[in-house]
Amino acid sequence: MEFGIKQILYLLLTLFIVLNYGLILQGIMPKIAARVGRRYGIRWYQPYLDLIKNHAKRSKITHGVMYYLGPVFRLTGGIGLLLFLPVIYGSPVFGNLSFAGDLTLVLFFQFFGVLGMALGAGESGHPHSAIGVSRGLSQVTALELPLTLGVISIAMQYHTLNISDIVAAQQGGVMNWTIVTNPFAGAALMLTFLGSMGRAPFDVVMAPQEIPIGPPTEYHSGFLGVLQLNRAIFPVAKLILFMNLLYGGATSWPELFIKTFFIYLWSVFVGVAFPRFRVDQSVRWFLGVPLLFGIIAILLI
Amino acid sequence: MAQYLTLEFIAMLTGFILIIIGLWGMITQKNLIKLVIGFSLFDTGLNIVIVSMAYVKNSTAPIIDKAVDVSQAASKIADPVPQALVLTSIVIGLGVTALMLAYVLRMYREKKSLDINSYTDLRW
Amino acid sequence: MVNPIHIVSIALGVAFALGFLGKREKLALGIVYTALAVMLAISASWLSHFWGNVTEPIQIFTGGFKPPFAINLQMGLAESVFTLLINTAGLLGAIYLANELLKAGKNMMIVFLVLVLGLNVMVMTRDLFNLFVFMEIQSIAIAGLVILNPDRKSIPAGFKYVIATGLISSLLLLGTVFIYYFGGTLNIDFISQESLLYVKGGSVAIFLVLLSIVLELKPFPANGWALDVYEGAHPGIGALISAASATAGVFVLDKLMVFGNFTFFNAISIIGAITFLGSNLLGIKQDNTRRLLGYSSVGQIGLIMTIIGLKPYLGENTKFIALAILLSHYLAKAGLFWLAGMVNADKLKDWGAIRGHRIYLFLMGTFIFTLVGFPPFPSFFGKWQLVMQLANNHHFWLLAIILIGSFFEGVYLFRWLGYAIKWDEVEQNYPKIKLNQFIPTVIFAVLAYALGFYFGELSGYKSTFIYMAAAFIAFLYIFDFLPVFVKNTLAIGAMALYYFANQDTFHGLTSIFFIIFVIGGIITLLAGYTFKGKRTGFYPLVMMMFAGLIGLLEAKTTLEFFFAWELMTAGSYFLIIRGKKSMEHALSYILFSVGGAYLILSGFGIAQIGHTGMGLDVLKDVHYYAPIAFTLMAIGFMTKLASIGLHIWLPGAHAEAEADVSPMVSAILLKAGILGLVMLFLSMGPQKLFGIDVLYVLSWVGVLTALMGNMMAAFQEDAKRLLAYSSIGVLGYALFGLTMMSHLGWLASLSIVVTHFMFKSLLFLAIGGVVMRTKTKYMYQMGGLIKQMPFSFVSVLIGIIVIAGLPPLTGFGGKWLMFNAIMENGWYFQAGIAFFAGVISFLYCFRLIHTIFLGQPKDELRNVKEAPFWMLVPQYIIITILLVLSALPNSMLKPIGQILLNYFPDGALVWHGQLAIGPYGYWNGKLILAIVTIIFLAVFAWLYIINRKAQKVKQFNIVYAAERPFRPETTHFAYNFYAPYQKALGFLVAPGITNFWDAVSDGAHAIADKIRSIYNGNGQTYLAHILGFTVIVYILMNGGF
Repeated sequence: MEFGIKQILYLLLTLFIVLNYGLILQGIMPKIAARVGRRYGIRWYQPYLDLIKNHAKRSKITHGVMYYLGPVFRLTGGIGLLLFLPVIYGSPVFGNLSFAGDLTLVLFFQFFGVLGMALGAGESGHPHSAIGVSRGLSQVTALELPLTLGVISIAMQYHTLNISDIVAAQQGGVMNWTIVTNPFAGAALMLTFLGSMGRAPFDVVMAPQEIPIGPPTEYHSGFLGVLQLNRAIFPVAKLILFMNLLYGGATSWPELFIKTFFIYLWSVFVGVAFPRFRVDQSVRWFLGVPLLFGIIAILLI
Repeated sequence: MAQYLTLEFIAMLTGFILIIIGLWGMITQKNLIKLVIGFSLFDTGLNIVIVSMAYVKNSTAPIIDKAVDVSQAASKIADPVPQALVLTSIVIGLGVTALMLAYVLRMYREKKSLDINSYTDLRW
Repeated sequence: MVNPIHIVSIALGVAFALGFLGKREKLALGIVYTALAVMLAISASWLSHFWGNVTEPIQIFTGGFKPPFAINLQMGLAESVFTLLINTAGLLGAIYLANELLKAGKNMMIVFLVLVLGLNVMVMTRDLFNLFVFMEIQSIAIAGLVILNPDRKSIPAGFKYVIATGLISSLLLLGTVFIYYFGGTLNIDFISQESLLYVKGGSVAIFLVLLSIVLELKPFPANGWALDVYEGAHPGIGALISAASATAGVFVLDKLMVFGNFTFFNAISIIGAITFLGSNLLGIKQDNTRRLLGYSSVGQIGLIMTIIGLKPYLGENTKFIALAILLSHYLAKAGLFWLAGMVNADKLKDWGAIRGHRIYLFLMGTFIFTLVGFPPFPSFFGKWQLVMQLANNHHFWLLAIILIGSFFEGVYLFRWLGYAIKWDEVEQNYPKIKLNQFIPTVIFAVLAYALGFYFGELSGYKSTFIYMAAAFIAFLYIFDFLPVFVKNTLAIGAMALYYFANQDTFHGLTSIFFIIFVIGGIITLLAGYTFKGKRTGFYPLVMMMFAGLIGLLEAKTTLEFFFAWELMTAGSYFLIIRGKKSMEHALSYILFSVGGAYLILSGFGIAQIGHTGMGLDVLKDVHYYAPIAFTLMAIGFMTKLASIGLHIWLPGAHAEAEADVSPMVSAILLKAGILGLVMLFLSMGPQKLFGIDVLYVLSWVGVLTALMGNMMAAFQEDAKRLLAYSSIGVLGYALFGLTMMSHLGWLASLSIVVTHFMFKSLLFLAIGGVVMRTKTKYMYQMGGLIKQMPFSFVSVLIGIIVIAGLPPLTGFGGKWLMFNAIMENGWYFQAGIAFFAGVISFLYCFRLIHTIFLGQPKDELRNVKEAPFWMLVPQYIIITILLVLSALPNSMLKPIGQILLNYFPDGALVWHGQLAIGPYGYWNGKLILAIVTIIFLAVFAWLYIINRKAQKVKQFNIVYAAERPFRPETTHFAYNFYAPYQKALGFLVAPGITNFWDAVSDGAHAIADKIRSIYNGNGQTYLAHILGFTVIVYILMNGGF
């Protein structure tokens, strides 16, 4: 495949679109959640303001090299994940860098940023960061088992690990979507999706409502800004992955926006309806019903 | 019944009875001296058995001279080998018994006890 | 030639003459030595006469009559060998006992001579009654020696000995006279021609004769009297009983077996096997040195009895096997008794007094390894041949009993050795070397090696490589006084030389292991330059381990393979036990290794049934019981791999080892197990045991190993234990990959094997360096070390990224391959667990780097320095290789794939440059690395632009509710890092398997303890045992009276 300046521009365009979309989602979703709780909520453009504010802060401190690099790892992970995905099906330019690796790469590359970030947070020396990492990693590992089973089920269904091919196989209407043709794998994936989005009932990692806890505890100013960029991009990348695996992908940007919006809404929906799990509870939960779905999905291949 | 009432049979039987008594003594008597006596009885019984085997009725001593012709020797004389054996056996029995008694003496000097149950320091 | 009768005449004459010497004890002793030497010379000259010549044995007629009218002695090859053994033990034993002999005076010298004389005649005589007489003489002589040289408890022991042997001899006499009664002769050769067994009384007589000989050889359980005398008597006398007296007894049994028929042979072999198993089982409960040696002696003689009983099956091989085992027993047991006399430590733990003493430990190690049957000692070849023959004759039960018995023997012998090397709760106390005691022991140790060489030649073992390696090891041992720098250079030089000389020799899969073993060895050896001083004893052991590993590659036959396997085990055992607290871990390592080795051995045995050669290719064509052989060998190799259930030895052994030993044993040594499995799977292919696909079962074992290994790693507080558990996990993956038996599965597995070598040496070296500096292995006691040890930090960082399998580094390749392989293969559930396990590895990876290098630095560790330079050098070599492989994955995977094409032609990857295309997916390692690097740099630039003026702050300057943290210990979140996880899933890693093995061990000890209570120390009970034994054996043999 030819790779020139044009492709790089398209990459940047993808990034730009996804960034803005992510920021807007970041504004809208809390608002929806707030409205469910009969509160007014933030303005939809609040994330933009936060981003600007964080980048403009003048007091900046660093705890060391790894601390400095933590956000870099994190954002690299987010951007990389996005770029390794075919974003728009059938579009040679928005296939981005998906020719470098397949579904396996995407699944494992997710953790690149997570681990790097955790290291950066670790160097800050704040116990809450470490606690957050411990909880986050615990949860992530637990959801991996149903996730893997679901992914294997889907990959076997289509006999490929190539995401573009998986999307291609789902074209031609809703009835061809994996969520319909392989409902158990879909269910397993959608349940693990909840865990990876970090909303209730799986939000004890960040505990956003209370005192600051979680990996970003010590991050501020530009560091937090970079993390925020990632917080916009990374979820969208994941949404695109799930959309590609389960909901037939997207042939255009509007289709992508609509599909990913509803996938995201699913986690918000669950989040407002259920209270929070402790980590040990969520670990056990993932190895319960979602795992069962995963096993059924494998058995039914 | 009559065929059992020969001298050699009675001797052999006596020997075996002595062997049994000796064994019984060795296994049941707690006193070291009695134990050694048990062994001695056993030994004596054994020797009687050996001698009894060599006995041939109406035979003479195993010396080939005028009384016994070389050609008839096999049937006329008692078997000399067991008699030679029993001599050796008695000597050895004597040696062993003496050794045992020597041990008993040493043991008694050490603990002033002749009960075999007092000498179980080494076990397991 | 001197007439052998002069052995008798000299002994008798001197014994009489000593009486006339008056008080001149020294002169008397000199005469005794001369007499013994002449006796020795006579047997030696006869041996040289018969050696290699097929000559009829000569008969010596006493009294001028021919048998049966007179007693005749026989001197042939066998007699000359056995009298030589007896006289050697006699002369050296007398030298050893010089002080005792002088102290007790001429009487004891006379008795001593009579003992040796009795043993000689026992061997030579062909007359049954004469045999009885001299057996009685040797019994009396032994009892006399005991009473003349009283030790604390020897008198009651001697008394029990006298009454027991008295009873046994009486039984022998009874049998003898009845044989005469029914057979009319006392000459052994004539008796054997009579058909006595068909007469009721005759068969009883023969039973009595043979059984009393068996009883003389101390069969279990009628052997309490013997154990007591072993424990009570002076070790010098114990050595004689064990080495000389038992040797003669064995010969007598063999000589008289001509009377018996098949039933007798079977009975003897069963009695022997039970004795071997029983005594060794009881031995594990012993803590008294001499009694332990007694149990071991009794057991070994039992084994030889078994071999004699197996004569109808073993045929021509009997001689070789029996001699190999007997000689090993003879040398080792005498040696150990003599050592016990020198060290004079009653309890096994007291042997810690000689820890650190090279010569004593060398002797002790030699003898113990001789007894257990390690190469290069004769018993190794004997046991090998025995197992092969047993398998050939389908004697599987006997095979199992013998191997289990040998295992128990290993348990107590290695425990004892461990105490001597490491037990540090007693004061170090080197006994002064007394030459008269020292020299005989050394001679026997040297003989053990020499005879090992000879028996190796006899069994067709010739490996030039091993001989060269042995020479090099010996060289290093002798020049151990050189500084580390020189020895390390020599070791590396030797490895490098070997590499360059042989780099074209190995093709196919072995070349992968060749590189891991040799290049890996060189890299890890580099770290050795860190150490100062002499590092006594280290280099011979390292070279022994590597010689074993390379020997595995060089092996052409199963024997060579097994030889190398055991050599490697021995070397690594000593390396592991060098660690500070590694005594018990080294023990469990060697026990699992020995157990595994026996499984492999029996597997080889079954595999070669019906084959004439011993080449490794017999595995390709196993005639009988192939699935069983396969399973046995697989389990054997998996012990080395530490698969789940067999893993409990690994964490301790690897964690407690020295800083540069851990990477060797973890990153390199474990690969031997993989090598074994590779060889096994390729040769034998899939096997069904009772209708179950063994490989399928193993695939589950593999993934469960991966899961449990990783999970346990996540819960460790000790950094090196964490890494050790991680090795278990990673090798579980490798096993899983191999069980798939497909191109991709093997590619995945082998690439994991290669990368595991790299990241595990990297991590163990880095952590080893940290531990060297911080003096602790507990991670929660560290923290914030990134500032002091940045280079180690980078090593660990790269290492964990590779372990975790994260793109863009090379670890991801393994994951990607695994995914493709599984999809192809269809083992989805195992796949799920494998990837679950893969993610759990993030837990321990993060913990490892965070708890040590990040978080809060501790006050006491503020001044630690970076790891030593020479620890870092190998790390950075490995990092370089890892980065190159990450950028150019095909430089590793393509060659491996090429090799695999020979075995698995289907399903290979297609390479376009660095783009790999598998059946399901694709992966371009170079491109991914480039993309990630570019993004990373761009983001970094962005952050740097907006944040370039960030101010560096001090440790406690954190958002802490406006408070200053109290102290680092309370702020460093480290201990029990994954508490919630443990709460949720900790039950999975409850120490069930450890508990299981503990229960097995406790159970065995409890059984042993219960059984040994039959030895209640009462002489009468022992008599009852003897009678009971006689009666029971009679009933069992005849099915009634």
